Amino acid sequence: MKKLKAIIQMMLVFVTLLTVSAIQTNSASAADNSLQRVKQRGELIMVTSPDYPPYEFQVNKGGKSRIVGMDIDVAKKVAKDLGVKLVIKSMNFDSLLVAIQTGKADMAIGGINPTNERRQSVDFSDIYYSGGQSFLINSKDVNKYKSVKNLRGGKIGAQTGTLQYGLAKKRIPGATVKGMDKSTDLVLALKTNKIDALGIEKPSAEAYVKNDPSLKMIPSGYHLNKNDIGAAIAFKKGSTSLVNAVNKSIVQIKKKHLTDKYLASAGKYMKVNTVNTSMFHYWKYFASGVEYTILISLVSTFFGVLIGVVLALMRFSRQRWLRGLAISYTEFIRGTPLMVQVMFVYFGIGVIINIPALISGMIAVSLNSGAYVAEIIRGGINSVGKGQTEAAESLGLTKGDMMRYVILPQAFKNIWPALGNEFISLIKESSIVSIIGVTDLIYQLNIVRADTYRGVMPIFVAMVLYFLMTFLLTRLLNHYEGKMKHAG
Amino acid sequence: MQDKAVIEVNHLNKKFGENTILKDINGTVKSGQVICVIGPSGAGKSTFLRCLNLLEKPTSGEVKFDGTDLTHVDGKQLLDLRERMGMVFQSFNLFPNMTVLKNLMLAPMRVKHMTEDEAKKTAMHLLDRVGLQSKAEAYPSSLSGGQQQRVAIARALAMNPEVMLFDEPTSALDPEMVGEVLEVMQELANEGMTMVVVTHEMGFAKSVANQVWFMADGYILEKSSPSEMFDNPQNERAKDFIGKIIEAK
Repeated sequence: MKKLKAIIQMMLVFVTLLTVSAIQTNSASAADNSLQRVKQRGELIMVTSPDYPPYEFQVNKGGKSRIVGMDIDVAKKVAKDLGVKLVIKSMNFDSLLVAIQTGKADMAIGGINPTNERRQSVDFSDIYYSGGQSFLINSKDVNKYKSVKNLRGGKIGAQTGTLQYGLAKKRIPGATVKGMDKSTDLVLALKTNKIDALGIEKPSAEAYVKNDPSLKMIPSGYHLNKNDIGAAIAFKKGSTSLVNAVNKSIVQIKKKHLTDKYLASAGKYMKVNTVNTSMFHYWKYFASGVEYTILISLVSTFFGVLIGVVLALMRFSRQRWLRGLAISYTEFIRGTPLMVQVMFVYFGIGVIINIPALISGMIAVSLNSGAYVAEIIRGGINSVGKGQTEAAESLGLTKGDMMRYVILPQAFKNIWPALGNEFISLIKESSIVSIIGVTDLIYQLNIVRADTYRGVMPIFVAMVLYFLMTFLLTRLLNHYEGKMKHAG
Repeated sequence: MQDKAVIEVNHLNKKFGENTILKDINGTVKSGQVICVIGPSGAGKSTFLRCLNLLEKPTSGEVKFDGTDLTHVDGKQLLDLRERMGMVFQSFNLFPNMTVLKNLMLAPMRVKHMTEDEAKKTAMHLLDRVGLQSKAEAYPSSLSGGQQQRVAIARALAMNPEVMLFDEPTSALDPEMVGEVLEVMQELANEGMTMVVVTHEMGFAKSVANQVWFMADGYILEKSSPSEMFDNPQNERAKDFIGKIIEAK
């Protein structure tokens, strides 16, 4: 009972520490030096979710991947007017506002509607473009869904965290609203009849209709105020100086009707984009995705095993607090999803020290893997007979030497298959880092999907690539297992 | 030399939870002596032996090695004293992840800080002594039980110990292999090694031991010379035990 109490105490300390660090992040916005900071840095950092043509999307130009679109042109203009360089970061739409709140970027842009709910957590610039809402439907349903009224009681898709999602829920009576992260997934869902209609901004809908004859657009029929149809740039609360500076650019954009020009050039990119949609054309995307996935997996495996060994040894320590710490850590990590850990490291810890997405992803995956490896190693150490410890002790070996030369080598041999399993699942689970914009295979897969308007083929390619990686790893592990068997 | 006490045990008690395994054990092992500990199973013989190098921590009492009470030292000092006592186990406990040679070299290199060449020379010499030089590069799993136990003895000797503790070294062996191990132990005794041997090999005890200790129910009930113990035991329990063994033979 006493032991249990100690463990619970440790856990409480752990959780309290996390909470304290989380609360601190909210009180860090005292004086407004937002504009000054951007100018000093000489860089304006923006985040966007580049899967929303024509607002922002990724194109393959001369073998290089670039983010383009109306919003990007707006951001370029803003940066130029401020006299600084524009730096573009990409991540899921869901995470955009979190990214600016936690200081990962100066501004978020991405066809964001400045609704009252959002205004409570972030500041907005003036509206730079008013698009309006619409629905995409399949061409064959044109007669079925002549207007929004026909959608009542139907299945409507919308991007999670967007205005369209909320509007469909509130304004279409009896409708079931299905949310997904990526608009490419939603379009695919529509085309495969998983949903009847897709709530989307008008310019985006127009882009899809232009590129895909199997899709049609109908107006939303919502009566909305300008905040619900316009797009604005989001900033961290209290960035008044930066907002004011940006608004000056927006006044010019509106006066000169620059968005029309921007949309036209975005449209041109989209036409270029659909010429060659064979997967082979995108091999560089997949190759770079595989490269990052392997890199993350390798680094995380290395540190995972290191952390795992340390934690496992802590479990066998004579110090009670070391044991308690190791147990709490393992329980906590195993009891929370990797996805949450990835976001916590990037957004949460990132407020105190700014860690790039790739490193954050590696840290989170390593920390996570460490907990699992620790349990495997602990099992392995327990599997080595007590006689081995006694023999080593009777020879006068220190505890460290005993572990290093006698116990751990035998433990590793026993747990090799279980460790192999962990490495294989690591390759697959590392895919979660794409949510913070690490350009791993999943991330690239989504870009290719957004780029080609082909929903299934890129998934298939990624599936084959993942299988190849895990298959080769399995062969490699079997090879070493055979070698170890040979050695006694 | 003969009179110097190497191990001295005073009022040793050992409890596992509610069970008292050893009760007020007293005894002295002098330099060069061979002590055989005999008795029925469950008597506490192995626990007694394991208390001598503190693989088991005594509940109370003293275990003095070369004048130092082991029950009151810890960490580095305990390791230093332990390396001067060799131990051989019933189940050999060779390290299966290393060759025979590496089994013999590990402790001398890590504990005594011998160079690799020195350690290898010592190891090969000892393997020669137990007749297993040809098995230096083999892994323990490819050896017979008797060979493994001879390697285990050589491994303990590689640390050049002052005392050797044997915990039923032949109990896990097939009958035809018992001889080769006892032979090695006999040679060791002839060379003057101080030894404490827990054994069921009465023949060995009779011919090699200086003194035989009879244990039952956690007590040492009789200490006498081999001839007295086997021909004319004083204690009733000892009489009964030895009678049964002779009958069985």
